[in-house]
Amino acid sequence: MDVLAIFTAVMEPHLLLTVLLCTLYGAFVGSMPGLTATMAVALLVPFTYFMGPAQAVAAIVATTTTAIFAGDISGALLKMPGTPASAAYVEDSYILSMNGKPRTTLFTSLIAGVLGGIIGVIILAFATPQLARLSASFSSDEAFWLATLGLSCAVFVGGASVARNFASLFIGLAIATVGIDVAVGHPRYTFGLEDLYDGVSFIPAMIGLFALSELLRNAGSGEETRLGRISIEPLFTGLRDAWREIWHRKLAVLRSGVGGTVIGALPGAGADVAAWIAYALSRRFSKTPEKFGKGHIEGIVDGGAANNAAVAGAWTPALVFGIPGDSVTAIAIGVLLMKGLTPGPDIFTTDATLVYTIFGAFLVANVLMLLTGGLAVAVATHILRIPRAVLMPLVLMLSMIGAYAIMGSTMAIWIVLVLGLLGFAMAWAQIPLAPAILGIVLGKVVESNFMVSMMKAQGNLMGFFERDAAAVLGVVTLIVWGLLLVRAALEIIGRHNTLSAKDAKK
Amino acid sequence: MTLVRDIVTGTALVVLGIAMIVVAAGFPQIGAVTFGPDLFPRIIAGGLILSGLGVLLEAWRGIAPESEASSFAWLPALILCAVVAGFAVLLPVLGFHVATALALLVVVRVFGGSWLTCASVAILAPIVLHYIFYSVLRVPLPWGLLSPVAW
Repeated sequence: MDVLAIFTAVMEPHLLLTVLLCTLYGAFVGSMPGLTATMAVALLVPFTYFMGPAQAVAAIVATTTTAIFAGDISGALLKMPGTPASAAYVEDSYILSMNGKPRTTLFTSLIAGVLGGIIGVIILAFATPQLARLSASFSSDEAFWLATLGLSCAVFVGGASVARNFASLFIGLAIATVGIDVAVGHPRYTFGLEDLYDGVSFIPAMIGLFALSELLRNAGSGEETRLGRISIEPLFTGLRDAWREIWHRKLAVLRSGVGGTVIGALPGAGADVAAWIAYALSRRFSKTPEKFGKGHIEGIVDGGAANNAAVAGAWTPALVFGIPGDSVTAIAIGVLLMKGLTPGPDIFTTDATLVYTIFGAFLVANVLMLLTGGLAVAVATHILRIPRAVLMPLVLMLSMIGAYAIMGSTMAIWIVLVLGLLGFAMAWAQIPLAPAILGIVLGKVVESNFMVSMMKAQGNLMGFFERDAAAVLGVVTLIVWGLLLVRAALEIIGRHNTLSAKDAKK
Repeated sequence: MTLVRDIVTGTALVVLGIAMIVVAAGFPQIGAVTFGPDLFPRIIAGGLILSGLGVLLEAWRGIAPESEASSFAWLPALILCAVVAGFAVLLPVLGFHVATALALLVVVRVFGGSWLTCASVAILAPIVLHYIFYSVLRVPLPWGLLSPVAW
């Protein structure tokens, strides 16, 4: 590995400029209520189409990190989390802001976020090459089990009841069956439309699920956000108090950074789940748990660090196994595939420089976020005054034109419409989106590996357990299935409380 | 309300699964092998049916999650869908500028903008968007009505 080459690649002016612009973009989109981090990335993808792979990934990474932080801005000032990842501690941040400390609150969450993100990148950079070495000898058997394990994990942590997570996953898998099949090349469920022979085009599908569905919800709920009059402390005071708060709780930042990275790495659990768990842990370990939810900064430090760490953590399974850790990395995998790069253990030997450039870009994005995020905090009240009547229509146009640009056919716009309606219906039915995204991304992978292994084993299912590594992964998967069955049974009998689907939406 | 919602959801999932199996029955088979292009869709259809039954079971046990309690206006959402469909049809016919301007005229109103906002967005946005996508990113956007002045 050539350290100098990586350094040059990271410090390349185009890359730095991309990262800078994307942190601004992420800060803007993330801070708008109703526009999520995933939506920001889905709208960005048509632009990454025209970039090199390192630049494209750097753009996605920079957008996500800042958008996840910026979700706190509208959370603190309007009590409307800009992204679901900020929902865990929105009560605290809103009350603190109303008490005249919006900047202290937001700077605290910004610094916690930057530190959490850096912890996440460090873990990512050290863990992934080891995992890649371990999995370099995997065949179709192991690949099948890994993908299945990832999907099962998504059902497990999906945030709603087992039945609903399961429904979500299979809706995603059903969408993935559209197109020419891997075994004999027969078109399936294409309704005779040639544009669907390659399957439901992924980027338009994501734009539909994450952008159009949200726009539909926004159009119907019709609430104009009103920013009340609040007293705002001087910038410097806010920064100083925030830094003191972080310094005082540095161990909490470390704990939540590490925890957030691990949770982010689980397929199906992203920044939002990480923030909820970190907040709950913070309350449990706190000396003053009774203050939580009433304007206490402690939970903001933990939640803020955890959700940004999770952004990095989600890349671990994505890069090593091609299994996305959250919906953003699901989109990123789609982008890498478009660039002719297949995420998996091989990418660490064939494109090692690219992988480390990605890590470098991650680090740079987190540092630059300190500046652009700070800028966003300074002008926060102005950002939130941008009228919805201008913003939402522009988002709609960007969705449609972006999808069209990727596919070069109006079929893209129809896909946006159909999947937008599907996403809207799923939200109505309280079915989470994350498992479905994994299903769409991994459906073809699971099927092709399944078919290859079936043919190797002549249709004997025991063949899936013949290799040692495959047997281990297979048994783990079966255990997860067993646990899922038990949990489903407990839920139906009614002794088990799950998070509501609302908490886990992304 | 949650009961109706869950009966609709569960039934829809079951029906979707059955439809997938019915269609899969028409897929070609390779000789005597039992794993053709229909195998995987059948497994997934089975999963859809099972999860649909699970949702119905939740409804029957009365343990379904509450809906987000807020009034929802259907008309704006329906207009939005119509705009998307209309844009897909009209984009190749009218060309990018005209189709985008028309879509914006409607959507800005849906989101409560004044006629002045409406007009300025509908005039400015197509030009800016066209510059970004056509001139900078080189996406071949259709010219339609404006073909005579295309560059």
